[in-house]
Amino acid sequence: MKEILRLMVVLTTVSALAGFSLAYVNEKTKAPREYQDRMKLLGSLNTVLPPHDNEPDKDAVEAGGTTYYISKEDGAVNGIAFETSSDKGYSGLIRVMVGIKPGGEVIAIEIVEQKETPGLGTKIAEGWFKDQYKGKSLANARWQVKKDGGDFDQISGATISPRAVTSAVRSGLEAYEKNKQQILGGGHDVQ
Amino acid sequence: MTFSSELVRGIWKENPLFVIVLGTCPALAVSTSVENGIGMGIAATFVLLCSNIVVAAVRRFVPDSVRIAVYIVIIASFVTIVDLVMSAYFRTLYNALGIFIPLIVVNCIILGRAEAFASKNSVFLSIADAIGMGLGFTLALVMIASIREFLGNGTILGYHLLGGSYIPMLVMILPPGAFLTYGMLTAAANALNKKM
Repeated sequence: MKEILRLMVVLTTVSALAGFSLAYVNEKTKAPREYQDRMKLLGSLNTVLPPHDNEPDKDAVEAGGTTYYISKEDGAVNGIAFETSSDKGYSGLIRVMVGIKPGGEVIAIEIVEQKETPGLGTKIAEGWFKDQYKGKSLANARWQVKKDGGDFDQISGATISPRAVTSAVRSGLEAYEKNKQQILGGGHDVQ
Repeated sequence: MTFSSELVRGIWKENPLFVIVLGTCPALAVSTSVENGIGMGIAATFVLLCSNIVVAAVRRFVPDSVRIAVYIVIIASFVTIVDLVMSAYFRTLYNALGIFIPLIVVNCIILGRAEAFASKNSVFLSIADAIGMGLGFTLALVMIASIREFLGNGTILGYHLLGGSYIPMLVMILPPGAFLTYGMLTAAANALNKKM
């Protein structure tokens, strides 16, 4: 009985100490982590949006469950960025930030997160791959990889990842078209 | 047993990957590029150092029957702390290593050294053991990753070393390449150790 008590005391003490130190570190690093998260978001927004004089992460509109970041110059909307994703990749979710002109034409895309096979699927994050989406819209391109009869290059040895990116961007564009009125027509601002 | 002999032991003679064969799962998974190998090696070494120090410091107070549970709590806490601190202050490194940091919890080297060494030795020697084992792990990872990245992608640390006409042996950066490289290097290391 005495032995059991001793075990309980030791385990409880160790766990409590671990809990306290984790809570402390979590609290201490909270503000810097949020700052870094915002910098990361702004970083990817700036790569896909045209030059602007507002803060797109504050001028955001929510529609159909997606947040649309709106960039403006002299008060006029010149670009919209949104995040879209696909779980059809080789492993895990592929998250893509897409920047478009108000008309629905892609300005640029940026891979926010992917866990594809290094050296194969990870090539979706390379410049030449992302660049082929530039200037494409739902109207002027067939949104499939070439192997499936579309307009986008696959990567040799890795068709699955480009296929996932292409379908993610397409579904994002479709959602934008559907909610266009709400996004551009003064939908309620979110913080 | 001196500090330096403990330190050197882990690097080659008792290399955690080639000789003790511990921590092979993360090693096979992340050795696709040299950059990943170095990052994983450094992160694991840091956690190993922290956990060895704490385990050695509390070794007299921890009853045998709950020691594994205590070690796991200590290791998991350090991994989480590393994760939080890196994401707050070293974002570039964090982005490169992101998925590997949680993997360190299940790295058998860390629990293995807590159990086999730190629980029986002083804090001082445990530090040497952690650094030696950590360096050995990093060295082995870099060796495996160099071969895989070079053959599988034609690059080392992202720099193209072979001309554009080189057709990469894709299999080397896929899981079979990991097993092939690891197996051959382990055989070579053991053959070398027998001669020495």
